[in-house]
This record gives sequence, C-alpha cells and structure tokens, in this order.
Amino acid sequence: MGTYLLPKSSIHLWLSKLLSRYAVFVPIEVEKQIHWHLLEPKDLETEPDSITPAQRRIRASEPVKSFMFEPRQQVASFPDALTFKQPGPRVLLGIKSCDLAALKVHDKILGEGEFKDPFYLAQRKNTLLVVADCPEPEQSCFCNLLGLTPYAAEGGDAALSVVDGNWLLDVNESGKELVDAAPELFTDLREGSSELARRDEQRHAALVSLNLTNARPWNPDLAGAVAAKLDDPAFWNKHAETCVECFGCLMGCPTCYCFLLYDQAKGAGVERTRTWDACYEAAYARVGGGANPRAEFIKRFANRFSCKFSAFKTDHGMYACTGCGRCFKACMGKIDIRKVLGEL
Amino acid sequence: MSNPYQPIPATILETHDETPNIRTFKLKPEREIPFLAGQFVELTVPGYGEAPFTPSSSHFKRDTFDMTIMKVGRATSALFDLKPGDRVGARGPFGQRYPLEKFEGKDIYIVGGGVGLAPLRALFLALVHEIGKYQRIFLRYGARTPADIVYKHLLPEWQKIPKVDIDLSVDVSDEKWMKKVGVVTCLMDEIPCDEKSSIAVVCGPPIMMKFVNQKLLDAGFQGGDIYLSMETNMSCGVGQCRHCRLGPYLTCKDGPVLTWDQIKDLENPFV
Repeated sequence: MGTYLLPKSSIHLWLSKLLSRYAVFVPIEVEKQIHWHLLEPKDLETEPDSITPAQRRIRASEPVKSFMFEPRQQVASFPDALTFKQPGPRVLLGIKSCDLAALKVHDKILGEGEFKDPFYLAQRKNTLLVVADCPEPEQSCFCNLLGLTPYAAEGGDAALSVVDGNWLLDVNESGKELVDAAPELFTDLREGSSELARRDEQRHAALVSLNLTNARPWNPDLAGAVAAKLDDPAFWNKHAETCVECFGCLMGCPTCYCFLLYDQAKGAGVERTRTWDACYEAAYARVGGGANPRAEFIKRFANRFSCKFSAFKTDHGMYACTGCGRCFKACMGKIDIRKVLGEL
Repeated sequence: MSNPYQPIPATILETHDETPNIRTFKLKPEREIPFLAGQFVELTVPGYGEAPFTPSSSHFKRDTFDMTIMKVGRATSALFDLKPGDRVGARGPFGQRYPLEKFEGKDIYIVGGGVGLAPLRALFLALVHEIGKYQRIFLRYGARTPADIVYKHLLPEWQKIPKVDIDLSVDVSDEKWMKKVGVVTCLMDEIPCDEKSSIAVVCGPPIMMKFVNQKLLDAGFQGGDIYLSMETNMSCGVGQCRHCRLGPYLTCKDGPVLTWDQIKDLENPFV
C-alpha cells in the first residue's frame, strides 16, 4: 500500500493512538532477553523512546504462536457445549521474519485443513502483525539456511525498520488501519529516499552477517536425507547423547504444533483443555492397550527431525523450522540443530 | 465455524456383555453421526477423557450406533461403570471409510482377532446389507477362549446368511468347543477364494495382524487389497495433534484402515 516514515518524536504518540483501538504487544528487554509485553499507557510516558531498542533485537523468547495457539486453552465442555468468545483486536508490533514464517506452519495445520480450529483462526484474524527487521542477527540465528531473510520479504500486515531511531513502515492493504489510526504522524517515503537506502544497507549487512555465521548450506534434499537416516540409530544416538529430555527445544519452538486434549471434571460437567505437547514425551504415541511405537527415546529424537524436515516438507512443501534458534538456546545439552542437519 | 473438539451428548440405551471384559454399548447421539464403515468416533467418558472407537453397527442405521469396547484403561474402566440412561460424549466421524466400491463383485475375506471383530462387524453388516453387490463373504475369527468370543449370540444368525461363510478358532478350548483350536491363522491354511482378485480385511492385536498379513501375502493376496486396522494413539481425530503419526500417515486422517501397500515400507508397522 505504501511506505512511510514515522519520526522518532512521534513513535509514542502513534502507539498511544493504537492503544485506544487495540491491545498492543511489543518486545521489551528484560535481563538481556527479549520478552513480549502488553503495552500500557504508562510505558509511553518515559522519554527517550523506550520501545525502539528492543525492536532491533532478535525474536522474543516466547514464540509468536503463543498468541494464536495458546499454551493451555479450554476448547470444549460437556454436556453443555463451550460458548465461543470472540477475542478483541490486537497488534503484535515487532514479530520477526522467523516467527511470521512459523505461523504459516500453524496456518496449514489449524487453519487450512478439512477441520479448522476456530480458536486459532479467531485469534489469527484479530491480530495485526508488524514484522520488524533483524539488523543484528545473533550466533543462534539461522533463518538464511531455511531460505528466509532477517526482515519481512513478504506477508504480515506491515514491516518495520528502525533507521537512525526513526521508524520506516512498509504497510500492506491489510495493515492500512494502523496508519489510519494517526495518518498525520506519517510522511510518505518515495523510492530512492535516503532513509530507504539506509534501510536496504542495514538489511544487506544483516544478511551478510547471517551468511557468515551459517556459511555452509544444508543438503538441498534435506527431506530425503533425513528420511534416509531414520534407520541409522548410530547417527541419532551420537547427536542425542547430551539430551536430558527437558523438552525445552519443543516448548520454545515456534513451529511445533503437537497438542494434548485432556478432560477434567468441573462441577457437574467436564472441561476439555488443549495444551502444548512434546513428541519427546515417552507416552506420546502410546495407545490405550500399552503398545508404543516409539518407546525408545532415540526413536522419538529422530522422529522430531523426521517430522520437521521430512514429513512436513512432503505434506506441505515447507520445512517446519524457521531458523529462530530457540531450540539451541534452550538446550541444556547444547545440541545445535544446525550441526545435526549439517551432517546429512 | 464448528468446533472439532466439542463432543455432542449421546445416551447409553442398553449394554450387552460380550465377554467378561468386553461390552457393547448402544448409544443414541443427540444428532446423527454420519459414519461409514471403517470410520471412527471419539468417545468421551465424562470426567475421564476420550478414546477412539469404531462403531460396530451398520452405517445403514445411524439414529443409534453400537460400540463394542474392551475394558483396558482409565476411560474404558469408567465407561463400564456407566448404566443405560447415562450420557457420554461423541464426536466424529473421523478417518477414512472402507472403499466398498472397490470390493464390489469380489470375494471379501475378513479376519478378526479378539475385540478386533468390533469394527469388522460394521463392515460385515454393510456388506450383507447389499449382499448382491459382492461375491462371497468369508469371516475368520479367533479368540483366546470360547468365553472370549464376541457376538456369540449373533454369529449363528450371520452364518445363515447366503454367501456368508464363517469359521472360528480359540487358542485354548473348553470341553464344549467343537471347532478349531489354535491362533486364527490356523483357519487360513486353505483360503477358499481367488486370492489374486479378492479383498482381505484384518483387525486384531498387532501381533495377530502381522502374522495374518504374512499369511495373506504368502497365499497370493495383493498388498493393495489387504486392509489393516492400524492402532495408533488417535487423540484429536482431525489430523492436527500428531500423536497418531505412522510414518508419512496420520492414522486419524489417512486411516485408521490402511492397505499393506501403504505401510509395507515402514520400519515396524505392527508395534
């Protein structure tokens, strides 16, 4: 739709306008880690701009899926059916390219199949996504190996770049209402402007940095290579050696979508809850009679790779991994997924 | 938009004890569940959870449906404490039906083991409902002991249906047992149909399916004509939660019945 400049002096003003229309979540830095924060008016009372620095950092610790596919959510009740509550409008201001790509995985599973998840879709439709550039990728980032860029190449409702403290917004038709909240604060940016040139330089530098960190591409037929390794327990044993089965890699993963449904008595009725699940869990595939096709941990370890890099690619034409590096950062055993895949 | 996780209430109309630990429940759902033979339903035992079962009654009558269930775990134990008039929850149907159009004009060779006859009963009743479309129906069924045979009261009636041939075996006999003794494959030494152009349908414990499948292949059945009920942990029923993954398949969506050709390359499909 258009590209706009929001000068640093107007950032808080714009955000305060957004607050009157939406619940706005922004990344903030807490003890060097980035976390999502529900913006409140008092956050905008401080000067200088308190919101911008975290926008330049990499993705938040919490995957964006948490907002659409909640870690724990009631999805049914019995005998009276659950009444569906329409969620209010939200803006996630500052998601990253890796998390945007991860939402596509959830769209495929929860939003596009024969059976659609009304809870996910309601949250997805009511949430505007502003995708912020990653001018400073870290050592744990590897989106380039998945064919992604450290900025929004496509998708989302708007793209945000921080240039010299000012905000540049590339706004799609779906994100027009964000600018409409205070159009007087924005100025049009024309192609060839110095701000856009600076943005492009920043983006290029970020890509160069990522390509240096992750210089060696993976096997171009990763799906086939993973599938071919499945009957080689020695390979998986070698890489799983330091795993303590904490499931941190799975709980932090922005693409993992496995879940568990469980029922609990509530008064005279029953509440059904959906909670994130982990395929490393020993009982994950066990059936009522006790049989378990993946009773040994090593099979569950290999299954994770098979699911993300082979089955999902075959079924949906994309990998269920976006290079965010959360699995590696969470891992107590220092298992780097890049190393595992790099040996295929 | 409908909520795929929301069960509808279904009232238990009657129960019938098939064996000491297998019971048939006749259920009347608030709304018809439009299942076809082979598809399954997630049954909610209020307060105890949910488990997948394939209806065991004919899909030509769906205002009520039967489920024949073995008491094995928490939810099924709680289910056995329920009485006629009590309510359970049901959602479905899920999964794929038997492709009956591919069965037309052919002999159907059905092999069941233990409670595995339950889903096969839905198929059997669908076949005999339109018996003219099929050649002959063979039913081979094995149970541990005569007391463990399900549908004891129905089997003699089924045997009277023209074009139907039934034979039974038990692993351990009693003094009244007049038929074969041995695992169900002992009924398969002679298969009285043209294996190359017949359909085989198998449901039972994994180890039984493994050996029955091998016997069918040895006899000359085509891998694409052997239909096997795969037991995996089908939880959501809608191809999302991923618990039931079996190689490239999600059993709840692609199965639960898969052909041998579909699963033959898996490392160990019969776990």
